[in-house]
Amino acid sequence: MLKSLVVPLLLQLVGVFVFLSGFFPQKNVLSGDAGFTIDASLQEKSKHAFNKLVFVVIDALRSDFLYSEENSGFTFVHSKINSGEAWGYTAYSNPPTVTLPRLKGITTGSTPNFLDAILNVAEDDSSSNIKEQDSWPNQFHKNGFKMRFFGDDTWLKLLPNEIFDEYEGTNSFFVSDFEQVDLNVTRHIPNQLSHANEWDVLILHYLGLDHIGHKGGASSTFMPAKHSEMDQVIENLYKNMKDDTLMIVMGDHGMNDVGNHGGSSASETSAGLVFLSKKLSKYQKPNAQNDVRVPMTLDDPSSFQYLTSIQQMDLVPTISSLFNVPVPKNSVGVLIPDFIQLLNNDKLANIKIMENYRQLLDVAKLEDLDNILNEFERSPKKLDQEYAISKMKDIQETLIRNATDYNYDNIFIGYCVLVVATLVAIICAIYVMHFSYPFIGTMSISILLGLSCFGSSFIEEEHQLWWWIITGSIALGYIHSAISGKTKFKLYFVLFVCLRLIRGWNNTGQQTAYSYVIANLLKSNPTILWALNIWAVFILCMRDFKGNPTSFISSFTLGMMVLTYKMNWSIINKEQVPEYLIEIVRKYCEIYTGTHDDQVFDDALIPMATLFFQSLSSICFIKLLAVVFRMQKTDTLLNDMSKYITLLLIFLSSSNNIPQFLIFEVLRFCIIKIVQEAGDSKVYIVSLISLCLQNFTFFQFGGTNSIATIDLANAYHGISENYNIYMVGWLMAMANFAPSIYWAIFPWTTIYKDTRNKKELFVKCKLPILLFNCIVGCCLFAACIALRYHLFIWSVFSPKLCYYAGWTVFMNVIVGCIVEGILLILV
Amino acid sequence: MSKKNKNIKKRVTFSDDTTITTHQTHKKKDLDYDRPPVYMRKTITTIPIHLLALLYYYIKISDNYDTLKLLFTLIPLQIAYLIFQFNKSTIYGNKRLKTNIPLLLITIGGSVALSVPAMIIIILFGAPFVEHIFQTWLLALHASFLAYPALYSVFNCDFKVGLWKKYFIAIIIGGWISCVVIPLDWDRDWQVWPIPVVVGIYLGAFVGYSITAYI
Repeated sequence: MLKSLVVPLLLQLVGVFVFLSGFFPQKNVLSGDAGFTIDASLQEKSKHAFNKLVFVVIDALRSDFLYSEENSGFTFVHSKINSGEAWGYTAYSNPPTVTLPRLKGITTGSTPNFLDAILNVAEDDSSSNIKEQDSWPNQFHKNGFKMRFFGDDTWLKLLPNEIFDEYEGTNSFFVSDFEQVDLNVTRHIPNQLSHANEWDVLILHYLGLDHIGHKGGASSTFMPAKHSEMDQVIENLYKNMKDDTLMIVMGDHGMNDVGNHGGSSASETSAGLVFLSKKLSKYQKPNAQNDVRVPMTLDDPSSFQYLTSIQQMDLVPTISSLFNVPVPKNSVGVLIPDFIQLLNNDKLANIKIMENYRQLLDVAKLEDLDNILNEFERSPKKLDQEYAISKMKDIQETLIRNATDYNYDNIFIGYCVLVVATLVAIICAIYVMHFSYPFIGTMSISILLGLSCFGSSFIEEEHQLWWWIITGSIALGYIHSAISGKTKFKLYFVLFVCLRLIRGWNNTGQQTAYSYVIANLLKSNPTILWALNIWAVFILCMRDFKGNPTSFISSFTLGMMVLTYKMNWSIINKEQVPEYLIEIVRKYCEIYTGTHDDQVFDDALIPMATLFFQSLSSICFIKLLAVVFRMQKTDTLLNDMSKYITLLLIFLSSSNNIPQFLIFEVLRFCIIKIVQEAGDSKVYIVSLISLCLQNFTFFQFGGTNSIATIDLANAYHGISENYNIYMVGWLMAMANFAPSIYWAIFPWTTIYKDTRNKKELFVKCKLPILLFNCIVGCCLFAACIALRYHLFIWSVFSPKLCYYAGWTVFMNVIVGCIVEGILLILV
Repeated sequence: MSKKNKNIKKRVTFSDDTTITTHQTHKKKDLDYDRPPVYMRKTITTIPIHLLALLYYYIKISDNYDTLKLLFTLIPLQIAYLIFQFNKSTIYGNKRLKTNIPLLLITIGGSVALSVPAMIIIILFGAPFVEHIFQTWLLALHASFLAYPALYSVFNCDFKVGLWKKYFIAIIIGGWISCVVIPLDWDRDWQVWPIPVVVGIYLGAFVGYSITAYI
């Protein structure tokens, strides 16, 4: 019996791993640093267009924040653009639009590897740094420029720190901090300006604007103030700059209206980019700027294409040429044509263009089919600049499209193994389940979800499908019960209302955002929110407490710890919390730390979390010991454990999602009542319900199939600044899958009443879920292979692939099989 | 199951279950106690052609999917359908029923009242609750007027017959299936709430009124 589960499961795991290793290979990069190739001595001797660079990155500075009539507060920048001292662009930032891959793009000029987005999360991972790769900061350092850096410490993780004479990193530990994180950068400016002769390049990276977006969306009330703060920083820097200094202000990516980023919508990929220098007014400004006054209104504001649209990577060869350093080896940028006039003379300009052209050919591993290089060598003066640039644009386009080389061997081996696993799973399922209704149900859900993998919008809006399946099954269940004469109208009605409430809780999916979602309403009504939160914990502790006082006491103690911690967390994150609760928490924290100042909340936070983790693990350990030494009845173990785990899940959820656990408890009660009389097929039905609700609630907690919504804020509970990356990884997985874990452990308390044939029940419960995963996996992999050159492969299908791997490995293997299996052995 | 058998033995002929399970074998000549008291004749005259015509009007002719105008056209056509097609195929106690004019009017009120529970069901099935509330109500009105002939028959048969449930279910299934198109990112103007579902319930009702007599 057990074999029919383990064999397909192992096969599936092998298939998924091999496939993923083929689909996300490590990218081949050209190693070593670039040097001048054409007429090197002339290039080395020539003067720089600029002598100093001030490089200001404002995280998530979307194009309309700089240029739009409606949203922009950058009045100083507007005035300079209108006077011609500043040239504005909308820079396309390649997805994944997350800071780390974008910084890689901005510094090396290369297209990002998809895995970088994932590694952005595991910031300590050393494989994502580019210390071995050529980049413009590296070239500047080699050519004797003195550089200083202040801002987001991602730069310091990416680049070798010794290239900076002076640096200080800030980190985005608390997303709710809008002010301090930027003041920590700005406070260096006066000192740097007064010692301006000691540096050549000053790089600043501001995070506050991104934080405001994450917290309150693109039109948050904090935005205008932040815009003018940034504008003043720019003005201050500009006024103290000499004529030969170039200032670049740019966003590394944009943000959507909710404030998230990571995907490929126009709002996320359109970043602002402005070049400012007094010298620029002497030259002809870009055509798009000729008859326009900024701030402006676009005919189609949702396109975000203000002024000239360029690729963000184009920045790299442009500044390399302006400062007369070689273009980094892996750059796929093309010199921005507007700046060619700034290169001293035509001869140098032509050389720079050709240098860029040759370097692009090297990256693309192409031959010079159009003979541009040969002709240039024959007659260096007669270069058709426009033609060369257009050719370079073509090469760039191909390079961006084929950003990765797939490893086809692994892809096909992995796929075949998965297909075999699926066939084995189907045979095993037929052998165990026969052609019963649950089998047909599992197959239809799997095939439906599998087919949906071929449509990008069904992947983006997967929650709709789950909702559709759930409403259909409830209607079916109700009709079935009505026909068999046992109408349970009230139960079904309560069930339906609960599910509808859960559906209305959060915005999910990637297409629409409603303003009237319950989470938002609760956020502005903290009294109700916290009343519900307290009820959620209380009702959970009350579950099955009869005749089991130790369970009640232990879970109640843990519950109180969870509540005080969550309140403290909300206070620190400046969420609205009722006054009287703040006072209670303050008392608690004061007892905890023994101090009485304003810092008491911050000081108590980590010790409180540590205490919770310690208590939780020791209580679980004692329970297990008691069961192993037969001091307690075994049948309560699963029950107690599921309560403790739920408390941990509440601990890891955001405060406005905690009331959902209250609804879950009601839902659980209804479902248990409904499936009571299902007879032999009960185990399958419970398993299917668990599967549907795992997925449904995952999305309704705010999860989607996009990298943008991975919840990081809840991965750092109880973690101090010098943290262990594996711990954060585990917490992140649990926080993101919190509701799914709740429903994955739901069968523990419902099907294992009879402990004699637990092995058989275990297999029967896991088979439908395994079957589902295998079939969906087959379809998803097929979709990824078929659509590997599709426009959405990196923005829709690859993230889905990563989520699929997460579901398979974390939810099904670790939570579903290993943890549950170990507990069952002990029972 | 036991309950059903008992019912047949005792010949309580108004039970839901008998109508559902045994009316298929009817021959309309002689009615004895084993025959169902109410059934639909298996005839093509119950096919609601006007629903297709209305859909054609809605999709092709009407200006920007005018759901309100569609409703005002639906109501008279449904009454006509009930009088000339549906009611003539309803066999109640071995005879066709005459059209009951006051009941026709009462049922219109009934349909409007039915739109409230229909709206609750639609919201439970996932319709937006605060935004688009008027559109949701329009949809509910459409659904309840599509069920108008069935509702009339429920009243007409003294609320005792379960046969009519199937018509309501058919409408719900039609609406449920049509939701599939909502998440697609084609950005068509017909993907706006509630247009796909309106089309869905019309098709559901069309299929329901056409084939329910056979199942």
